[in-house]
Amino acid sequence: MDTQPIISLSDVSKRFPVGDGEFTALKNINLSFQKAEFAGLVGPSGSGKTTLLNIIGSLDSPSEGKAVVMGKSISALSHRESALLRNHHIGFIFQIYNLLPVYTVFENVEFALLLQNRSADERKKAVMEALDWVGLSSMAHKRPDKLSGGEGQRVAIARAMVKRPAILLADEPTANLDAENAHIVLKMMKKLNKELDTTFLFSTHDEKVMKYLDRIVHLRDGKVEEDEIITTQQAAS
Amino acid sequence: MKLAFQLAYKNLIGAGLRTWLNVAVLSFCFVIIIFFNGMMDGWNEQAKRDTIAWEYGNGHVLNDKYDPFDPFSLQDGHGQIPADAAHLTPILIQQGTIYPDGRMVSVALKGIDASQTSLELPTQALRESDAEIPAIIGTRMAASNKLEKGAEVLLRWRDKNGTFDAANITIVDIFENNVGSTDNGQVWISIEDLWKMTGMTGEATLMVAGKEYVHKELEGWHFESQKALLSDIDKIISTKKASSGVLYMLLLAIALLAIFDTQVLSIFRRQKEIGTYVSLGMTRRQVVGLFTVEGAMYSIFAMVVGCIYGIPLFIYLAKTGIAMPQASQDMGVALAEKIFPVYGIQLVIGTIILVVIAATIVSFMPARKIAKMDPVAALKGKLQ
Ligand SMILES: Nc1ncnc2c1ncn2[C@@H]1O[C@H](COP(=O)(O)OP(=O)(O)O)[C@@H](O)[C@H]1O
Ligand SMILES: [Mg+2]
Repeated sequence: MDTQPIISLSDVSKRFPVGDGEFTALKNINLSFQKAEFAGLVGPSGSGKTTLLNIIGSLDSPSEGKAVVMGKSISALSHRESALLRNHHIGFIFQIYNLLPVYTVFENVEFALLLQNRSADERKKAVMEALDWVGLSSMAHKRPDKLSGGEGQRVAIARAMVKRPAILLADEPTANLDAENAHIVLKMMKKLNKELDTTFLFSTHDEKVMKYLDRIVHLRDGKVEEDEIITTQQAAS
Repeated sequence: MKLAFQLAYKNLIGAGLRTWLNVAVLSFCFVIIIFFNGMMDGWNEQAKRDTIAWEYGNGHVLNDKYDPFDPFSLQDGHGQIPADAAHLTPILIQQGTIYPDGRMVSVALKGIDASQTSLELPTQALRESDAEIPAIIGTRMAASNKLEKGAEVLLRWRDKNGTFDAANITIVDIFENNVGSTDNGQVWISIEDLWKMTGMTGEATLMVAGKEYVHKELEGWHFESQKALLSDIDKIISTKKASSGVLYMLLLAIALLAIFDTQVLSIFRRQKEIGTYVSLGMTRRQVVGLFTVEGAMYSIFAMVVGCIYGIPLFIYLAKTGIAMPQASQDMGVALAEKIFPVYGIQLVIGTIILVVIAATIVSFMPARKIAKMDPVAALKGKLQ
């Protein structure tokens, strides 16, 4: 674990213009994450979890400091470079799934691969495999509006994982799920984390999620309050 | 680019009714534009064909002093028919007055070689009749003066010295044709009769060229080729096209507005989708491209849909013709009771290119906004 971190944040601050002034959402964040970590940003609403995930995911950039993801400085990326980074190496999972409504489950999962110009055979194989990971192979031709919440989020996981990204960012992935589905989804993600060595980074304030995490970064008012490593014993329980 | 087409196709099909409404309006545009222009082109062809058959022949040889656009030039605009005028049908034009029902009506009195075959005027009726002065007129002339076949009517004219003379003419035939300028206000008699009546023996105002006519310089006369004569019809038709163009441009504008509106609305409503595209690795420019292709694709769908109902309609109309209202028959250009529209490949392709480009532009304009969108705000659906 002492190799180059896959995500490294040094003195990252983020300010948003609000009215005449500015609002500081993140203050001097220093964090790094290694490959295959299963970590979470935990804190009350408004503590800056989503903002931090968006910066790591290159959807946003820091106002100050340096965010380096897979060896690339986020602020220095062009639109095209950051799109490529997301397309190949970063998967997103959102609270409300964000499935594309007019596409079937298969097409939703296939999307990132289409952008990568992969062949139809390759795509089909990868999509079916990803749907298999989340146990939805039989739903490939359904439309998102025909799925239950738990199924929807599983499709979102398959869509994020189909390209075998190095990093998966999950912003409150269980907030819209009942306890049973939350556990199903979390178990799937933990399994994928082990099998594919994907680095998972959550944002959450859900107790259920915390039980699965190997590391919890507590955020409050845009600052790291505590960085807690959970021992294997605890995490497995 | 191919990807944009695939995705745009799925998005449009997925959007269902909204797509088909736009497509319906736009396809209607296609069909109307092609219909109108096809009708104009058909009219143009028919007008040229009829005008050649009834008036222009293979061109006109005009007396230098005669100006067809100046009736006063009739006074002096005539001269002796040249001796070597082969394959030319002489016409002498004089002004006259007829008195049907006691009314006074000015007419152009046209003497024509009764044995001519260059024009479709039924001049043999003039030869076959044993009336004193046989005359033929067109249906419009007959209708406006309530003249029937066999009717006699008093005609007054001036001879070459300017002295008034009068006699009864007999309408021996009423011909049907589409060329107003051989009909309205025209009385056709044999040129030999007119020579006798005016004392202008051997003279003509103009001569109509026959098929075998080969132009050579004639002193005191000049030649207007068939093509030159027809260019006026082209001009009139293109003016009419432009004025009906206003109508279909309005229709097109409505259709384009519908697309524009759909685009603006869908960019607003699909923010989360746009954010998702970006999170999945599309650049914002690619998303702009996708939305533009979506809009442009309306026009492609419209083309297909337009073909489905347009082609049978066009084939039917080209076969059966379109009846023209009586009122529009005096428009200065030969207008048949029925027009058979002509749909040229140029017209169809030109229309397609016009509509596709226009639809692409109105789709692109609102879509440009996406390039400036903050993907985070888009994902939250928070943009105004
Ligand atoms: N675009 C923005 N403009 C202004 N303030 C923002 C913007 N985005 C986030 N914030 C503010 O930054 C703080 C952190 O937001 P966020 O990262 O979404 O918190 P969390 O995900 O932990 O609930 C919040 O107070 C929020 O209101
Ligand atoms: Mg949040």
